[in-house]
Amino acid sequence: MNDFTDAEIETIVAESLAAEAAMASAEAQPPSSAIVWWRAQMRARQESAQLAEKPITIVHALSIAAGIGLMLSVIGYAAAGVKGSVAWVTNIAEAVPAALAALPLDLVNRWTSLALSAALVSVVIASIAAYFIFVDE
Amino acid sequence: MADVSYLDVRRLHADVLDTDTADVALAMDEDAFRAFYDRTSRALWGYLSRTSGDRQVADDLLQECYYRLLKSRVAFESEAHRRNYLYRIATNLVRDTRRGTRPLFAEGLDVSDLEAPQGPADAEQRADVRRAMGRLKPRERALLWLAYAQGSSHSEIAGVLGVKTASIKLLLFRARRKLAAMLEAK
Repeated sequence: MNDFTDAEIETIVAESLAAEAAMASAEAQPPSSAIVWWRAQMRARQESAQLAEKPITIVHALSIAAGIGLMLSVIGYAAAGVKGSVAWVTNIAEAVPAALAALPLDLVNRWTSLALSAALVSVVIASIAAYFIFVDE
Repeated sequence: MADVSYLDVRRLHADVLDTDTADVALAMDEDAFRAFYDRTSRALWGYLSRTSGDRQVADDLLQECYYRLLKSRVAFESEAHRRNYLYRIATNLVRDTRRGTRPLFAEGLDVSDLEAPQGPADAEQRADVRRAMGRLKPRERALLWLAYAQGSSHSEIAGVLGVKTASIKLLLFRARRKLAAMLEAK
């Protein structure tokens, strides 16, 4: 091929590939456009249905619960310094140590009470949130 | 069991049909798609089969190409733009296809399948072209096919292959030389 000019090589390649293209076109048996359209419709519908029905995973629920728990912990921590404005937190904080007093554990102090209270409240709220999530489905 | 009138049955049936045929989000309406498909599917099948080297792969990928086109969110400016995008999808799908045997490049041609003016010499020559194509890199195959079998412009090829238009001339020159050398070696 070194004897050929680039133009000659181009002609050879072009003719060869044009002939091959004609053969490929002749042997092509694509499905009808109606079938391809119908299959695309079916597949798109199936995918959108799967997307709509996709359940909220446990990870989502845990993320929500963790987020709420974190938020309430922060609120509880801040509220501890402002007595009276968040009376419900202190009420729970007092109730929980009383319950824990019966246990043979040294868990009863102010900060652990607050943390436990916050955790308890977050579990309750997370349960309610999870209930509403799954009720919607 | 409660009485159900004929009209109730018809209404129920109509509701089911409405649900089954409800439009889903596709980029084209049916008439436009079918016309576009009829204009492009044979050439696209040729491109898929000759770049992948496998007719079965071409059959499988053809529908996937059109489905991805239908699901795309691209605002096409013209028919050419849409066609180039389709070929870009095809190129990516062929590239991502698991590398395996490529029967098309290995097989010979059955002379009896050819039309009268094409003799054994033509068949032999075409088999040589296929084998030589099979030894090229996938991008070189795509490049040559788009340029000479499809007659695409440099800018169209650049769009399909995702390379700069300015580099197409050089890439084509190299691919041509390589193919020609392989044909001569045979």
